[in-house]
This record gives sequence, structure tokens and C-alpha cells, in this order.
Amino acid sequence: MTTLDTTPEEATAESHGEYHQDMSFQPKANRIGLWLFIVSETFLFGAFLSARWFSTGTLKPEELNQALALLLTIVLLVSSISAYLAETSIKYDHRRNFVLFIVFTIVMGLIFMGGVTIEIKEALHAYPPETPYGTSYFMLIGLHAFHVITGLLALTMVLILGLKGHYGSKQYWGVEGVVKYWHFVDLAWVIIYPTLYLF
Amino acid sequence: MKYLVRAFVLGIVGYAVGVGLTMAIRGGGPTDEVAVVIGYIFALMGWLGGIGGIEAFGRQWVGKSVEVSTARGWRRYFQFSVDHKVIGIQYGVTLLSVLLIGGIAAMIMRVELASPGVGIVDLDDFNKIVSMHGILMVAVAVAGIIGAFGNYIIPIQIGAQDMAFPRLNAIGFWLVPPVAIALLMSPLLGAFNAGWTSYAPLSVTNESGQILFNMAIVTFGMSSILGGINIITTVITMRAPGMTWGRLPIFTWAGLATSVLAFAVTQFFAAAVILITMDRVAGTSFFQPDVGSALLYEHIFWFYSHPAVYIMVLPGFGVILEIVTTFSRKPLFAYKAVVASLFAIVGLSVVVWAHHMFTSGMANFLHGPFMIITEAISIPTGVIFLGILGTLWQGRLWFRTPLVIAFGWLFNFTIGGITGIFLADVATDIHLHDTYFVVAHFHYTIVGGSIFALIAAVFYWFPKITGRMYNEKAGSIFGVWLTVFFNLTFIPLFWAGMNGMNRRIGDYPDAFEGANKFASVSALILGASFLLFVGNLLYSALWGPKVGPNPWNARTLEWLIPSPPPEHNFTSQPVVIGSPYAYGVKGSVHAYFPDANEGDDPGDGSAQNQETVLA
Amino acid sequence: MRRSWIPVVILWVAYTVLIVVATAQFTWFPKEWAREAAVVDEAMLLLQYLAAPIMSLVMAVMTWSVIGWRTEGGAHREDGAPVRTNKIVVTTWLIVTSALAIYVVINPGFVGLAEIRGEPSSDYVINLQGQQFSWEVTYPNGATALDELVIPVDARVRYDIISIDVLHSFWVPAFRIKIDALPGITTTAFATAEEEGTFEDDVNLRIQCAELCGAGHANMAMPIRVVSEAEWIEYVEALATDG
Ligand code: HEA
Ligand code: HEA
Ligand code: CUA
Ligand SMILES: [Cu+2]
Repeated sequence: MTTLDTTPEEATAESHGEYHQDMSFQPKANRIGLWLFIVSETFLFGAFLSARWFSTGTLKPEELNQALALLLTIVLLVSSISAYLAETSIKYDHRRNFVLFIVFTIVMGLIFMGGVTIEIKEALHAYPPETPYGTSYFMLIGLHAFHVITGLLALTMVLILGLKGHYGSKQYWGVEGVVKYWHFVDLAWVIIYPTLYLF
Repeated sequence: MKYLVRAFVLGIVGYAVGVGLTMAIRGGGPTDEVAVVIGYIFALMGWLGGIGGIEAFGRQWVGKSVEVSTARGWRRYFQFSVDHKVIGIQYGVTLLSVLLIGGIAAMIMRVELASPGVGIVDLDDFNKIVSMHGILMVAVAVAGIIGAFGNYIIPIQIGAQDMAFPRLNAIGFWLVPPVAIALLMSPLLGAFNAGWTSYAPLSVTNESGQILFNMAIVTFGMSSILGGINIITTVITMRAPGMTWGRLPIFTWAGLATSVLAFAVTQFFAAAVILITMDRVAGTSFFQPDVGSALLYEHIFWFYSHPAVYIMVLPGFGVILEIVTTFSRKPLFAYKAVVASLFAIVGLSVVVWAHHMFTSGMANFLHGPFMIITEAISIPTGVIFLGILGTLWQGRLWFRTPLVIAFGWLFNFTIGGITGIFLADVATDIHLHDTYFVVAHFHYTIVGGSIFALIAAVFYWFPKITGRMYNEKAGSIFGVWLTVFFNLTFIPLFWAGMNGMNRRIGDYPDAFEGANKFASVSALILGASFLLFVGNLLYSALWGPKVGPNPWNARTLEWLIPSPPPEHNFTSQPVVIGSPYAYGVKGSVHAYFPDANEGDDPGDGSAQNQETVLA
Repeated sequence: MRRSWIPVVILWVAYTVLIVVATAQFTWFPKEWAREAAVVDEAMLLLQYLAAPIMSLVMAVMTWSVIGWRTEGGAHREDGAPVRTNKIVVTTWLIVTSALAIYVVINPGFVGLAEIRGEPSSDYVINLQGQQFSWEVTYPNGATALDELVIPVDARVRYDIISIDVLHSFWVPAFRIKIDALPGITTTAFATAEEEGTFEDDVNLRIQCAELCGAGHANMAMPIRVVSEAEWIEYVEALATDG
């Protein structure tokens, strides 16, 4: 490497040389990047949540289906646990358990989505989007459902790659990242649920 | 080129599929807003896939290995390249073009405003042009420096070989052209006439071009957030050995501060326009005149858009500080205080948003607190000024074009900042809000603070990036020309605002004709200066004299490698051993290359001793 | 070089004096037609005086950089003195700028705020409704008008403002008063006109819509006529009976 008196051509020629920065930073960078992304998403949810408080205060209609919402909350929390177990399994190379837990998580996510569809159907009659509460309701549910769907897609991808044997105790960043994202989606619901149903 | 064509084709196909699907499912015409939204989303996916997303991400998702292009030469600028230097240039060229388009819109506005009455454009078209000018320029100011030089320079300054997430970086850039395309296509759907601020409920009831505006903002927001995350991660994890926080070059610090702000607040603008979109297409009622709240929009919007002005100007601070130290050949004065101030500004800027709302009818008790915090921001900004003035103090000033423009910057931004204080005061803002005084204030801060810095940065790093020198004479003439006519354009507008001329009007009372005519003539001369700028850059990039690695005799790492830098920036690992700004300290060294060949060590092997002097 | 602070200080003082004198000489503001206008203008003038030394300091350093500290030469020039920081300078700077900022917050900040928003009493209430693209006035006795706003001199009037479609903004440049018109929410502004006059005397005696509201925004203005209180009562009553 030279620092002075090199022409661009020489420099480019030299650059085919052997030096490459050591890549040991990458796992750390991945984690930091994911966390920053999650924080960033949190703020997005924060914007919508504050919009809900601003426009409707503590107003909430009688017709809310409390039982179904509680059930869905439990379903989602359980899926978070199974996602965690999937991650731990692959860390220890328990591939079969890993596949089982991922499938279980996806099923839970699908149940959740089914429940949300029922809720939306009911809501369309009881408090349609034109009403103040309906406005906040559909926005928050919609935003969250979008994240659940992307989460499910990512989980499916991880499942397919996992079945092909892409992950193992040495290399499970893909699983870890998706599972962390899934935890975030669940956590978001844990905040949205009381905002829409309890207060 | 192949990929670019594929991107356009897939983009158009995507749009058609999206619109077709929507029409098939819910009926309606192709210009229904729902159809446009769905079409846009599909088009965006088609575009990203076509440009290279399929190879860079899609293959990985189905378990195949990633393919990234290894093209060389000019071709790589037209495709999905993961090289941060290519991306930096892509950003720079794209955004400079957008600046020129926005500038032409400004010229049309100034011609219309040269005399009262309706001239070349009617009143509604005028508002559409103002809105277009505003949002295009805001995009340039938000992403200009950080996109072009943040990408190009920051990894080199910290001794890294690329960004932490090169593919995301490329996606971040390729999200930008759709923004410009969507905005410039919006006249097909009637354009948008609600200003760059897009206040509801006007933006809920105006023509469908608003939908494309909203989509463009969401896209641009994603780009900013990805870019922000990337830069933060890069600076945290990829610094070369010895690059402690205390030795980080100031431009990198400024880029880091900007990124922290960008990744934390950009969502709010996206959220605001998503809510508008929902009101328009899904029947919600956030801002509908009867049930919704217009104040809600203003709060969410300014929660982003106030910090956004610091996203625009913080990298500018970095550039100017970098230039001032280099050309006065003195250490950066009060380095630590300046860095602390950058972050103080980041912190304060998220809690001052309501100073744009003093006349909005929000609760009275909010006015006092927001006034206090807004004026508090002038204290850290003042420290940055202290850094600049202290560095100039008794320096050995070498007036090259970057320094000339930095001086223009200093003059302009002082005026812009001080007039900001006028606006922060509730008593005076009640009169000045939404007048040309505000217009003049923010041109002094955005153009004077952000665009001047962008232009200074272009000249400063031009020899590094192209390996050739720009024409110095043409450069400094341009610098002076720009500064003088910029001031002549906007000074009269302060007067017009104070004396009763409000903004976003294509027609005004005769009393303001004098000031406006003067401003319009100056603006045209100002606009013409850009011909010299662009001409100089194009000519010099092709035929300018070649330069060595370090024409300014500066010290940060980018100047220790050849111009233009080799493919992986460094051919051996740089090791940092001292401050980048130890000018005047005998034998001091910022960094050296221990593995380099004999004789290449700029520290003459005595490097280790300097550490004590500099640390 | 050593004593180069002397010319900078001289320049600083000179610029400051120049700006202060110019500020004092020149009439910056349009005619004040209301008591509130005087408050705003005074605040603004005070800020201009306070800005003079700040602007001048920057200009002084810039000027002397060009005159006194410029060097020529290529890349291998001599460096400046390696001054990295100076505690005393930094601390002084922080104290002075903080003091300035605090002072500005108190006066004209809170002082002006109190004077403009402090006193909620009024002699008359006039309702204004903004709509695309005109203003509709409703006087206390229910009479309405679309062509001009007539108000009594020397009486404190409260304006209750509302919009029926998008945002508008009630701005009277001659009174230096502005407040947005929101759909569904009433906002208020106060003004005490001090002199009789009409739009023909001064273009700033108009209500100008100051919030972008669509195609007709530029022309959404309404002339104001300030008349004596007796004349005003007569006018309003005539308006009510005429229908
Ligand atoms: C790069 C962009 C940028 C920057 C940096 C700033 C900086 C500042 N701005 Fe500005 N502003 C805009 C861009 C910017 N602004 C835009 C685009 C709008 C209008 C948006 C729209 O409506 O379309 C706007 C509007 C705007 C308003 C709303 C006006 C209105 O619509 O009614 C206000 C009110 O408080 C304001 C205040 C300030 C203040 C206090 C600063 C401060 O940060 C300035 C601080 C700097 C200094 C003070 C100078 C240096 C300091 C010293 C030398 C130290 C000593 C000084 C003191 C102690 C006072 N700005
Ligand atoms: C980065 C931000 C930026 C920049 C660089 C500029 C640059 C300029 N702006 Fe703009 N402006 C804004 C941001 C910016 N503006 C914003 C945010 C608004 C508010 C929008 C809103 O209200 O919603 C605004 C609004 C605004 C208005 C107020 C409109 C209104 O409220 O009615 C005016 C009026 O004079 C104006 C003028 C100009 C001029 C003359 C320039 C000049 O500096 C431009 C000079 C550059 C060029 C001219 C381009 C290049 C030159 C050529 C290609 C050469 C050939 C051309 C000719 C000689 C014709 N701008
Ligand atoms: Cu009404 Cu502008
Ligand atoms: Cu602001």
C-alpha cells in the first residue's frame, strides 16, 4: 500500500491485492442493525398509538369482543415462547425440535390472523372506519396485521431454509433475526391490546 | 444498463398488475386512488427486484447463494452496486439532478412573482409548483450530504472497507429514484397543491396527485431509515484499530448524529401521510373536517419535520468544520464541546416541534415551553459556531473554493439562525408565521446551511473522488457569485414578509412589487450561476489535471489513500494513532499503515511517540 | 499575528454600531393600526438590537480572516498554532450565549406572550367563518357580511374564528395578529384598533388568509374599515335590518 504518488491506475491494479478487512464485526453488526430496526419500528407504532390517544382519548365502544381479543393475546404470547424454543433448538442442533417449534409458531400466527379477520368483520358493523374509534381501531389493527403477515412470511422462509439444512449451531443468524422480529411483533400487540380493548 | 432496463420493465409490469388486480377485485377505474396505491406498491417491488434485488436478496431467500455484480467502469453506476463509493456517487448525481429540477421550479415561481397579477401560471398551478419545489428540495437537503458523502467518505474516514450492510445500502439508494419518479409523474393525476407540509384536511380533499406524494414520502422514509441504521452500525462496529471515539473525524460524528435522528423520527412523516392515505382510500376519519383533527396531523408532521431540518444541517456542520480545519491549518477548536453539541442538538430537536404551530390554535399553555426549548437550541448551535470561529482564529487561511463557499455558509447561516430566533418568539411569530419572513429564514438555513455545505463538500472531495482537480478560478468565481446573489434574492423577502406578504400565493398586493421584482431578477442570476457550477464539474471530471492523493494536505484517512480510492479503499489495514486534527504539532500523525511496503509509512516509523503528544 | 485580536475587536464594535444605527434609522414595519401591533414591533426591534453583536462578531472574524489571516501557497505550507481548546473561552461563550437565550425567552418572549394572550376580556365579539375562498363576518347582533369587515376604533374586539372546510388563517397584517381557522374548533384572537382608516389607506388593513387552502388562497382577503364606535353601531344595525 502506498499513500503518496500513486496514480489511480496503479492503485486499482494494486487493489486486487490480498487485503480484506477482517469480517469479525459482522455478527455484532447484524445484531446492532436489527435492534436499531426494531427501535425504529417501535417509534412507528408509537406514532400510531399516540394518534389513537389524541383523536379518541379513552373513548371505547361497548361492542368490543373482549373474549376473542384476550384469547388472541394468549395465542400470540404462546407463539413467542415457541419461537424462542425454536431458536434455542437450532443453537444446539436439535433440528427436529426446531422444525416442530417453527411450524407450531406459524400455526399460532395463522390462528391469530384468523381471529383478527373475525374481529374485523364484526368491527365493520359495530364501529366502521368512519367513526372516531373505528378510525384508530382499523389503523392499529391493520398496521399490526401487516407486521404479523411479514413475520409469518419470514418464518416460512426460515422453515424452508431450515428444512434444506441451512441452519445449525454455527450458523443461525437467520433464525435469530426472524425470531427477534417475531418477539417484537408480539410485544407490539401486548401494547396495542390494552390500548384498544382495556382503556 | 441491462438491470436498469429490467427494473423499468418490471416496475411498469408491477404497476399494471397491481392496478389490474385491484380493478378485478373491487371494480373501479385505473385512476382510482386504491388502484394507484396498490399499483405503486407492486411497481416498487418490481423495480427493486429488477434492479438487482432478485440476485442480492431473492436468491438467498430461497437458499441459493447471493450474486452481486462485479462490473467495472461507468456501467456499475447504472445497476445494483454494493460498493459504498459507487452508491455515494449515485446519490450525489441523482440528488444534484433533483436540485436542478427543483431549481427550475423555483425559477418559474420567481418569474410568476416578478409582478403582481396572474402571469405565466394560474394560482392553483402556482401552488402546485411551490409544493413540488418544496418537496423535491427537502429531499435533496435531507439526503444530499449524508447520502452522497456520508456513504462515500464515512467508511473511509473510519478506516473501513465498506458499510456494515452493503446490500441494504444499495436498496436504500435504489429507493430514491422511485421517489423522484412518483413526484414528477404526479401531474398526470392532478399534482398536489397542499405545500410540502401537506396540511390536512386540504391534503385529504385535493386531487389524486397527493397519493403519489404520500407514496413517495413513505418510500423516501424507508430509504432514510435504512441509511441511518447502516451508518450507525458501521460507525459503531467497523472502526479501524486505534480509531477511538475521541479521534473520530468531525464529519463522521456529524453523520452519526444525523443518522441517529433520521432513524428515530422519519417514521412520523411516513405515519402522517399513511394516515392521510387511509383517510382517502379506506374511509377512516383522522383528519376529515367533521370528525377528525387537523391539529393531530400538524403534531405528527412536525414531530418529524422539525428534526428533519437538523437532519439537513448537521452533516453540513460536519462538512464546514472539516473544511475550516483543513484550510486554516489549525486543530478543530473545542472538539469535545462541538461533538457534545451535535448530540445536544439531536436531543433537543425532537422536543421543539410545536414552534411551527404557535398560530395553529393549539392549547395556550404549550406556547411557553416550546418557546424556551426552541431558543435553547441556539446554545449548542452557538458552540458549533465557536468551533468554527475558534478554528479560523489566527489560522493560516488558504482560500480555495471550499473555503470560499464555507465563508458564504457562515454568513448565511448566521442570518438564518438569528432569524430563527425571531420566529421562535411567540410574540413576533404571530405576525411572521406563514409570511415571506419564514420563507427567507428557511432559505437562509436550508440553502445557506445545507445546500451551501453540499456544494462546498462537492468541491472539497472532488479531487478525491475523481482523481482530478476542478478549475479553481471558475470555482471561486462561482462561490462568490452564489453567495452574493443568494443574499440579494432573499434579503428583500424578509422585508416583504414583515410588511404583510404571505407565502404560497401566486398573486400579491401591488405594494410588494419592488421587493419581488428585485428578488426575481437576483434569483435568475443566482440560477445562472449553476451553469458555471455544473460546467466546471463536468469539464474537470473529464479533462481536469490529475491530482495526487492529498491535494489539500489534509489528515483524515481518506486523504491517505490514492485518488480515486481503490476498490476496497485500503490495500492494507490502517492503524490510527492520533487525532486527525493535530495541525501544527511537529511530526504528528493521524494514521499509518503498518503492513505497507517500505517507505510508505507517513509517520517515518516514529509514530508511536506522537501518541502521547496528541491523545 | 499575536495581537490580531485588536483589529477583530475594532471591527466587531464598528459593525455592531453600524447595524444598531441602521436599525434605529430605518422604519422596518408597516403602519401600526392596533395596540397589539406595537407590542409585536417592539419585540421585533429589541431582537434586532440583540442580534447586532452576534452577527457582527461573525462578520468581524470573517473580515479579518480575509484581510489578516490569509496566506497563499501550495500544499506544504506552515501550520497555525496548535490551539486545541481554551476552557476560559468556551465557558465564557457558553455563559454569554445562555444568558442571551434566557434573556430573549423572558423579554420579548414571555413579556410579549403575556401582553398578547394575557387579557381575555373584550368589548365586542365578532364571529368569522372561513370557507373556500372567502370570509363571512357575523356581528354581535347577528348581521352578516361577506364583502368587508367594519370595526369600531378604540374598542377591544374578540374574534371567534372557525372554518367549515379546510384550514384557513385569520391574519391582519396591520394588527400583527394571526390565528388559524380550524374546522370544528373555535379559535380566538383579540385586537384593539387605534385609528380610523380603510383598506384604501393601507393594504395591510385586510384580513388575509395565511394558511394554504387551495386554488383561491392568494385572493382570500377581506378589506377592513375602522370607524368610530357610534358609526359602527349604526352600520351594524343598518346591516341587520337590510337583511
Ligand atoms: C436546515 C434547516 C433549518 C435550520 C437549521 C433551522 C434552524 C432554526 N429554526 Fe427554522 N425552519 C426551517 C428550516 C431550518 N430552521 C424551515 C424549512 C422552516 C419552515 C417550514 C415550513 O413552514 O415550510 C422553518 C421554520 C421555523 C419556525 C416556524 C416559523 C413559522 O412558520 O411560524 C421557527 C420558529 O421557531 C424556526 C426556528 C428556528 C430556530 C430557532 C433555529 C435554530 O436552530 C437556529 C440556531 C442558530 C443560531 C441562533 C445562530 C448561531 C448561534 C450563535 C452565533 C450563538 C449566539 C446566539 C444566540 C444566543 C441567540 N424555524
Ligand atoms: C433545499 C431546499 C431549497 C432550495 C435549494 C431552494 C432554492 C430556491 N428557492 Fe425555495 N423553497 C424550499 C426549499 C428550497 N428552495 C421549500 C421547502 C419551500 C416551501 C415550499 C412550500 O411552501 O410548501 C420553498 C419555497 C420557495 C418560495 C416560496 C413560494 C411561496 O411560498 O409562494 C420561493 C419564492 O421565491 C422560493 C425560491 C427559491 C429560489 C429562487 C431558489 C434558488 O436558490 C434556486 C437556485 C437553483 C437553480 C435555479 C437550479 C439550477 C440552475 C439551472 C438548471 C440553470 C439554468 C436555469 C435558469 C437560469 C432559469 N422557494
Ligand atoms: Cu383560506 Cu388560504
Ligand atoms: Cu422547526
